[in-house]
Amino acid sequence: MKLLIECSSKENLYTNKTDGIILPLEGFSVESKCFFSMTEIKDIKDKSSCMVFVKVNKNFMNEEIDDLKKVLQELDDCGVDGVFFYDLAVLEIKNELNLQLPLVWNQTHMVNNYKTCDYYYSKGVSYALVGKEITLEEIKEIVQNSHISVMVEVVSKPSVAFSKRKLITHYYQDLGKVKKNDMIIHERGTNQDYELFENQDGTSFFLDIVTNGTSVIKDLFDIDTPFIIMREYGLENIFSQLIQDTMNYISNGCNDSSYVEKYKMIGDSTNFFFRKTIYKVKKNG
Amino acid sequence: MDKVELLSPAGDLERLKVTLLYGADAVYIGGQNYSLRANANNFSLEEIKEGCIFAHSLGKRVHLTLNIVFHNEDMADVEKYIQDVVDCGIDAFIVSDPFIISYIKTNFPQVEVHLSTQNSTSNYKAIEFFEKEGVDRVVLARELSKKQIAEIVEKVGVDIEVFIHGAMCTCFSGRCALSNYVTNRDANRGGCAQVCRFSFQNGEEKDFTMALKDMNMAEYIGDLIEIGVKSFKVEGRMRSLYYLATVIGAYREIIDGYYDHSLTPNKMKKLEERLDRVANRETSTHYFKKEADYTDQYYSGRSEVSNQDYLGQVIEYDKETKLVKFYERNYFEIGDEIELFTPKGEHIEFKLAKLYNEDMEEIDVARHPDNIYYLYLDTDIEIPEYSMIKMGG
Repeated sequence: MKLLIECSSKENLYTNKTDGIILPLEGFSVESKCFFSMTEIKDIKDKSSCMVFVKVNKNFMNEEIDDLKKVLQELDDCGVDGVFFYDLAVLEIKNELNLQLPLVWNQTHMVNNYKTCDYYYSKGVSYALVGKEITLEEIKEIVQNSHISVMVEVVSKPSVAFSKRKLITHYYQDLGKVKKNDMIIHERGTNQDYELFENQDGTSFFLDIVTNGTSVIKDLFDIDTPFIIMREYGLENIFSQLIQDTMNYISNGCNDSSYVEKYKMIGDSTNFFFRKTIYKVKKNG
Repeated sequence: MDKVELLSPAGDLERLKVTLLYGADAVYIGGQNYSLRANANNFSLEEIKEGCIFAHSLGKRVHLTLNIVFHNEDMADVEKYIQDVVDCGIDAFIVSDPFIISYIKTNFPQVEVHLSTQNSTSNYKAIEFFEKEGVDRVVLARELSKKQIAEIVEKVGVDIEVFIHGAMCTCFSGRCALSNYVTNRDANRGGCAQVCRFSFQNGEEKDFTMALKDMNMAEYIGDLIEIGVKSFKVEGRMRSLYYLATVIGAYREIIDGYYDHSLTPNKMKKLEERLDRVANRETSTHYFKKEADYTDQYYSGRSEVSNQDYLGQVIEYDKETKLVKFYERNYFEIGDEIELFTPKGEHIEFKLAKLYNEDMEEIDVARHPDNIYYLYLDTDIEIPEYSMIKMGG
């Protein structure tokens, strides 16, 4: 099992501490807080010994397709280890240009079953980052039944939604105030906060509480899950230590229970790992 | 030029029949599983079959939504279900999952597959991928401009369907799990609780809201036809019969009027007024003409309008006695200015002179929704079942 991380700033990339890093490509990715230019990505790839994955997970418009082709070709040329994608244009372009670039199926809330994972595998997609709204049992079924190489985000503030609209700008326009780029909103019913982040591509919603999946890493390790992912945002003060401890934990077979004990400090939110969503609120008559 | 398809939602068998009678060329329906409106009544297999027979008898089509985002457990019986609904006679599946698309195209090549808007398909290159997978039609994302839609139509070989009317999602369809997090209801398996219509505290004097105005493309139907869009979709499987009859009837007249050049400015104004009157929210064209902005949203301090125009649904008309038998929906009384409209688009305006209860006693007021009443109307116009009675003026 390998650990991939996504950093919340460019200052410390932890490239010598982890198996791999995920770099959101500026202008081509969403649902992140820290973006990298192509030049920066190439530079990091040249200088790093760890795996380098790049996020290209926007919904693209026609006029962006030519640029998308160029960046995918560049990423292929510089030999990055994989590209996270949402829009099927990415897969189509990979096939069209005969790129060797490994792809990660990253349709945020849609990667929920092993048959569709296998479908993408049959189309040349190497990896799938499973949705964060499915249970650990469902994830285990996917890992055990799909040929695709599965990634599981275990520690992060989960991405909850993405809108093309500039919702914070619009809100402050209506209010007649100077806009901000981010905002915390509070949902009264659940007493839960969400963080909104806006840039030129739209508005990302994050749950403003860190999912602590450190306790599920062993389960995932035991079934040979290929990758786990941790995102730094919200954990800046402890992230370096968390990476180091997680790498050690994995290399020791996930048998050190003190690791899980120690990282209870992250909080007790396990998101949907042990909680099933419902979708029918009444029976059909 | 083939006429564009007018595609109506139908949450149940009655809505299916009514919307087809009011001019829809096709309906989209949900079965009791695998549809993104898990809490609509939805169709049993028997009802799907009956709906298909009814639609086909009119030369019209039935599309079935199979557009949930599948979990492992949902896959268990879906193949049998697909076989069953194909046997019922459906004409097309609306699907978001590419595994399901591939399964249908391999095993039932005679049935069309339409890519659901749940995929938020927003460019021609993504469509090229699905075209190779055998998809017959793509329902585009609702975030596209006229120019972008036109370029897609020009560059791809599959039919293009767009939404023209109804409620909108704030986020990209499929790229939103707000409902999962806030209510534990799975947005992408039909449980969406419409959290984008909630208001949130944020420390400012007004709550943060992000709800959108509805879409209304009536004014641009001609543009969309000229672009080459093949199907116009109306949102609202859970909307009332009256709403659907009004909206579908109005778009039928707009589309027909466009093709036969009878759509005068006056007629268009009347039709737009009809659409406005049945709406419970303001409307916008969102991304079609410009980048969507703050004018396309609602902010704190508004309330939705509860429409009281709908007075009754016709059961039958007796040409001898000149009595219209109907189910009452909202309070009305003698002297009110009333309008009755039929599935064929006839509109009759009159002042209510005589009203009777079910026991044929003359009364002044119809005050009990769902009760049967009779009203007197002297007309030679055919008034079939499912004609609607509304407040005039």
